[in-house]
Amino acid sequence: MSASLAVEHLSVSYGKIEALHRASLGVAEGAIVTVIGPNGAGKTTLLGAIIGLLGSSGVLRYGGTDLRGTTVEERVALGMCLVPERRELFAELSVADNLRLGAFHRRRDGARAILASMEEVFVRFPRLKERARQLAGTLSGGERQMLALGRALMAKPRLLLLDEPSLGLAPRVVREIFHIIADLKRTGVSMLLVEQNARAALQLADYGYVLETGEIVLEGAAAELAKNPRVVETYLGLSVAARLAT
Amino acid sequence: MNAARAPFALFLAFLAGAPFLLPEFYVTLMNFIGLATLVTLGLVLLTGVAGLMSFGQQVFVGLGAYTTAVLATKYGVSPWLTLGAGLAVTALAALALGLITVRLSGHYLPLSTLAWGIALYYLFGNLQLLGKHDGIQDIPAVSLLGWKVDTGRESYVLIWIAALAALVAARNLLDSRPGRAVRALRFRATMAESFGVDTARLKLVIFIYAALLAALSGWLYAHFLRFVSPGAFNVNIGIEYLFMAVVGGASHVWGAVVGASLLTLLKEWLKDLLPKFFDQSGNYEVIVFGLLMLPLLHRARDGLMPVFARLIPRDERAAAPAPAAPLARRAPPAAGVLLLEVTGLRKNFGGLAAVRELSFEMRGGEILGLIGPNGAGKSTVFNLVTGVLPADAGDVRFRGERIAGLRSRQIARRGIARTFQHVNLVGTMSALDNVAIGAHLRGAVGTGRAMLRLGRAEERRLLAEAARQLERVGLGAHLVEPAASLALGQQRLVEIARALAADPVLLLLDEPAAGLRLQEKSALADLLRRLRAEGTSILLVEHDMEFVMGLVDRLVVMDFGEKIAEGLPQAIQANPQVIEAYLGGVE
Repeated sequence: MSASLAVEHLSVSYGKIEALHRASLGVAEGAIVTVIGPNGAGKTTLLGAIIGLLGSSGVLRYGGTDLRGTTVEERVALGMCLVPERRELFAELSVADNLRLGAFHRRRDGARAILASMEEVFVRFPRLKERARQLAGTLSGGERQMLALGRALMAKPRLLLLDEPSLGLAPRVVREIFHIIADLKRTGVSMLLVEQNARAALQLADYGYVLETGEIVLEGAAAELAKNPRVVETYLGLSVAARLAT
Repeated sequence: MNAARAPFALFLAFLAGAPFLLPEFYVTLMNFIGLATLVTLGLVLLTGVAGLMSFGQQVFVGLGAYTTAVLATKYGVSPWLTLGAGLAVTALAALALGLITVRLSGHYLPLSTLAWGIALYYLFGNLQLLGKHDGIQDIPAVSLLGWKVDTGRESYVLIWIAALAALVAARNLLDSRPGRAVRALRFRATMAESFGVDTARLKLVIFIYAALLAALSGWLYAHFLRFVSPGAFNVNIGIEYLFMAVVGGASHVWGAVVGASLLTLLKEWLKDLLPKFFDQSGNYEVIVFGLLMLPLLHRARDGLMPVFARLIPRDERAAAPAPAAPLARRAPPAAGVLLLEVTGLRKNFGGLAAVRELSFEMRGGEILGLIGPNGAGKSTVFNLVTGVLPADAGDVRFRGERIAGLRSRQIARRGIARTFQHVNLVGTMSALDNVAIGAHLRGAVGTGRAMLRLGRAEERRLLAEAARQLERVGLGAHLVEPAASLALGQQRLVEIARALAADPVLLLLDEPAAGLRLQEKSALADLLRRLRAEGTSILLVEHDMEFVMGLVDRLVVMDFGEKIAEGLPQAIQANPQVIEAYLGGVE
């Protein structure tokens, strides 16, 4: 089954306020697509609508399935997974239990398959293995993000929706997280990436969209967007323009 | 007429017409609704707003009722004097119970209210003075300037004047300086303390106020029915009051009326209806209440009032605050003067040393960056300096005065304000009200004056200050939006505006730029530079190195709770130990 996502004319309203207005975008199978934009533009709302946490109008298709009327659980079962901005870990559960919960909808796969997935996550994040029995609430910021990612991977996703994965992380850890994202792409997982660090996001992504006050105002191949003067000025800074020019 | 006021006007018109139009039976029902409204209103403030759950309000109703019953029947004291006596007895009892129980957390508080609810019920039923289980009869009617409040219709006037006055007072309270603090009690007590709110005292005040409303209801009850017996004050009744608050909408003042009306009417109706289905008599309505509760909690978890409120157009006049004279400001220390001295600071969490032997100092008009890997102990340092956590060892001095060991509200009073790494806003409150909490210590209006809607000039100044700070951080367009509806990055800016509203000498910012975009970051950096030029010192925890390096005067680097480097940004960037632990190699 294809893992491509198609979003057409998606609108989301909170009461009278429209947070997202007829946004259209696509994520091709195996691609990383990034959405950049200022605070309050509707990026988190977009991800929430795609995974089904928020009601929306418009067309949402994933791998040929019409997502209208499907629940969050069904979308996760289809291979979509959201890594939320606030991580939303179960602070009172151990790292290992948090991971197990990531595979909640896979309980029919059997304990052995889930254990194997956990081993894969531990290979990717050795730190989590060291802390497997620790409570998630005691982890540092970087480890929390690793756990949030690891928990998502336990769902065996084909499309990851990543909301600000580098938020609040030390520079070293940010680099580590981006390495992991690049590495995940090699395994064929598609990704829709919302990221404050527009520079890193555009370097990593194949395609990008600029979302401002609820509307897509610009789109293009990531390398092209990174050269767009408006994007450079608003989201990247002149230092990068200078670097690209040389 | 303003559309937003229409439902209120309609309600008033109904109340005014009811005693003339309704038959006696329904007037009596309305009286019971008014009596229950008073008690439920106390619960709305106590449970819904302040987050303290009580199953014991009927005890205070009983204290108010029995005090007047005993004094009026046995000693012939005028009911107006016994009202004062009842309130005084209740206030003392609530103070004693509150001092012991209000500090209990989680489910211990509701459990203890159940316990004293049961204890006092049996006390009422066994004291000879109170007529044991038979109660006290022939309580005289209240008379006011020759008008004898004799019939149900006359009691109606007294009861609903009291209920309306209490409702308006509660509205006034919530829409004021102490009201904002009360609204922060439930989920944001640490934050409120950090901005100077004495949360323990405020909880006690609200507890006593709720008890006084119950006692007032009890006094009215005794003189309306002319008879009291312990059965009216048993634990079931206490649970019913809580029921009313939850059904009406425990965080809405008018929810008290909705809940009290609905449950009183329903109970009456079920009392007629249910005996037709069951042979034996019994309190079957409780079962029906329980069954009705299930779909209600499922569909309208916050009670019915929010559902009604959505149908009423919002009052747009409340939008932007009126301009007002600016608040007085603190004189900042001279640039370069020693401001903050931290020496040998230590904090352990179990076996983990979160901060070890940390020493650094800050001077007036300086921006000091505190950087280090996630989990290095930076936020703990913030909590130690601001008194949110007690230090295990070491000393913190601010402007020469030792502040280690002080409570966070005492430290706030000295001119230290902070933001929280994990956004610490009252989500249901507007951005403006959230920021106004920051200016708590710059106002003085207390709960009593707020209820009477006094001190509005100060309130306007506080709100104008809050609006000014929100505009300063670039959120001038979002003043009235509930904080929870803002994007995470904007919520962080609200945190900064709130700290600025405290007019701090020293500002502690925990990852202020996280989640902000390039332009928003440079606007923030400009703001921080302006603050520095005005004499505010800033301690900054932040991971965005471009932001930090272009802004700070000096840096302190922490790893595993220890200071591993200190110095100018350029030297730090070249420090091999810092690169290894934090920055990472250049690729």
